[in-house]
Amino acid sequence: MATQGGIAFQEKVSRLLRGQNGKPVLKPNRALVLKDAVANRKPKKGEASCITEMSVLMACWKQNNFVDTLCSNEINSFYMCVEKAQADAKNKAAQSNIQGGRLPPKQATALLKRYPNLCKEI
Amino acid sequence: MAASISGLLKPWTPRVFLVRWSRYNPYYLEPEVSKEAYSRPETELSAEEKEQRELKALRPIKAATSGVSSSVFDDPVISKFINMMMEHGNKVLAREIMTQTLENIKKKQVEKYHKASEGEREAIECNPYTIFHQALENCKPVVGLASIQKGGKYYQVPIPLTDNRRRFLAMKWMITECRDNKHRRTHMYEKLSQELLAAFGKEGNVMKKKYELHKMAEANRAYAHYRWW
Repeated sequence: MATQGGIAFQEKVSRLLRGQNGKPVLKPNRALVLKDAVANRKPKKGEASCITEMSVLMACWKQNNFVDTLCSNEINSFYMCVEKAQADAKNKAAQSNIQGGRLPPKQATALLKRYPNLCKEI
Repeated sequence: MAASISGLLKPWTPRVFLVRWSRYNPYYLEPEVSKEAYSRPETELSAEEKEQRELKALRPIKAATSGVSSSVFDDPVISKFINMMMEHGNKVLAREIMTQTLENIKKKQVEKYHKASEGEREAIECNPYTIFHQALENCKPVVGLASIQKGGKYYQVPIPLTDNRRRFLAMKWMITECRDNKHRRTHMYEKLSQELLAAFGKEGNVMKKKYELHKMAEANRAYAHYRWW
């Protein structure tokens, strides 16, 4: 992409820096060079999972004075709910990565660090 | 993070072969120590397991630590407990304490067995390994508490725990209880065997600690919505 419009792009940038009628449009205080890293995305805050199961379990505990043998059904259903929630979270993360068509920020940074922007000749 | 991009690693052999290091390239696979995993015939394996086997033939594998062995007596839970008891790298002493603990449990149970009447004898469990595992199971908490900040204040929020975390908490409580809250002139194996037998019978200080955690979680159940995962 850069090689196709390379020279035209460089001319446009130099025109912006020189400016029309002597007034430059851009006055960059840093060099116009791309970084070898991508900014991190804020992870979306989800909701708490398995709240109903937990509340059922705690009600059972309250009734039976915290004896675990009497609440074994609720405990098992709570564990299954937790496992399902973890599996769901994993699948959702994998799916959103594939669907978005973009790499997640950490992977993009790792890839860019391997093929860095060369700013010096040596 | 490096493990997540291990899919980007091309097929590669290392120039220097790593032996007994603890930091490996994520390309390396975990070793399979148990003999039963290799004695299963081809027909019994599912498609994923066949793929795993073929992958193991091609990828380099980490060196097994000296704590695992392929003998029938090797127990990962007991190995983990020994490692947690170990101080200053003295694995010999920690293993000694563990074997003495199991021996002591067996002695006590056999004594009880011989003193008991015919009807009660079947109910008495003599195998120290089952007693150890059952006691640890009884000590594992179901929910834990996490300190979550909301609106400038910190709340203790009940959260579900992973299996590893629960096992770690049970072992940690057992060891700290035996180290701190017992008479100083008793040996560690004696303290451990007493506490393990008590936990097997669902009594004792470790069970009390677990119940207190459950009670705290139940008291704070209103804050359960402060979790976001």
